[in-house]
Amino acid sequence: MATTNVENVDTHDDPDHHSKVFRAYLIVFIALSVFTLASFLANWAEQAGMYSVATAAAIILVVAVIKACLVGIIFMHLKWDWYKLYFMIVPAFIIGTMMIIVLLPDIVLAWHH
Amino acid sequence: MTQAAHAEPTVKMGLPMSNGKLAMWMFLVTEIMFFTGLIGTYIILRNGTPGSTEPLRWPHPHEVHLDERIGAFNTFVLICSSFTVVLAHYMVVKRNFKAATLLIGGTLALGALFLVVKAYEYKGKYDHDILPGLMGENLLVRKDKDGKEVGKPMTADKERLLYPTSVAWYEHVRGELKAIVDKGPADDKYAKESAELLDAMNGKDVTRTDAQGNAVKNEKGEELKDYVPPLSPAELGNRVNELLENAEKDGKTLHVAPAIPFGNLWASCYFAMTGFHALHVLGGLVIFAIILLMGMMGKLGPQHESMLELTGLYWHFVDIVWIFLFPLLYLI
Repeated sequence: MATTNVENVDTHDDPDHHSKVFRAYLIVFIALSVFTLASFLANWAEQAGMYSVATAAAIILVVAVIKACLVGIIFMHLKWDWYKLYFMIVPAFIIGTMMIIVLLPDIVLAWHH
Repeated sequence: MTQAAHAEPTVKMGLPMSNGKLAMWMFLVTEIMFFTGLIGTYIILRNGTPGSTEPLRWPHPHEVHLDERIGAFNTFVLICSSFTVVLAHYMVVKRNFKAATLLIGGTLALGALFLVVKAYEYKGKYDHDILPGLMGENLLVRKDKDGKEVGKPMTADKERLLYPTSVAWYEHVRGELKAIVDKGPADDKYAKESAELLDAMNGKDVTRTDAQGNAVKNEKGEELKDYVPPLSPAELGNRVNELLENAEKDGKTLHVAPAIPFGNLWASCYFAMTGFHALHVLGGLVIFAIILLMGMMGKLGPQHESMLELTGLYWHFVDIVWIFLFPLLYLI
């Protein structure tokens, strides 16, 4: 049976797709390594007293989200497949966020000090 | 679109995506729900604890013996393995099956390294007795590095509230201190300190002495005794932590459960999140081993392009979960 990869039809229109994608993988790998080092250093700086825990937390979490997005968009091919998959992925995150919001009043806000 | 050369199929229902890819993404979405459940619960529980510097607050990563350098190393290991697995798929597309096999072998090795490092960390937790349900939750007062008191001390009311859970820890510590004393040798510094602590954990009658140090006697000539109560759980918490800190300075890890407020909740969250993540890593490694065997036997072919892609998708998801777990547990 012929091996027609249905989903790769549009990406393989571009003959340079493969070399471009290799470059993208390499850049993302280097970026991920740099960001990991950045969040480690951000934590070290907070421990050394350069800024508050809240600032460190904000930097570190933003970096984590960027790293996850890089892995998802390039490594997991979502840059090309997002329009086919967002209807499944987005609701999962909405439900996850809602779970936290729903539990907030009873566990976080009503804690007896 | 350059599809003129293909015979136009009859009306196709569904997404322009292979069944395998759709199914893998549906599975990954359920995994998103699984891990957001665990991580969301951790966020909620942690934010529900007092944030100030009273004795009762969520433990700092160093207090539970988490080393962020090990965590950062593990993060880098998984990032490298994500890179190798995506390159393996790329090599299959390029029909270079030898390179693909090598890269899958590299991914397997890196994943195994991650698990080895994790096992080392878990062993450390076991050695420090930082396990769910085993730690004390009471501290009389918290001291900083210089021994100065920080925040407010524990009140008697709070201590009374925590008493039921602290009894189990009290007896657990008694058993562990006894084990240290029994192991000896008798002149070992820590055996002696443990024996001292054990003694303080029992109430005893002490002869009452006057200002000159003579025993006070009643009219009948009998010595009067006062009762010295055993250490309260909160007092024991501070004493045990001191003992452990002094031992750490000498490079020795005593197998005594420390007193870490909210430590048991922390340990439950930590082992649940990293444990399930490690199981997912292990599952991925099994699949990589199978693919590696196929490659080594020369059985990898163009028909396996999809298999490599889907395995890669799963592995990238495992990597993303760790990208979030690392800062949430080790850094913040």
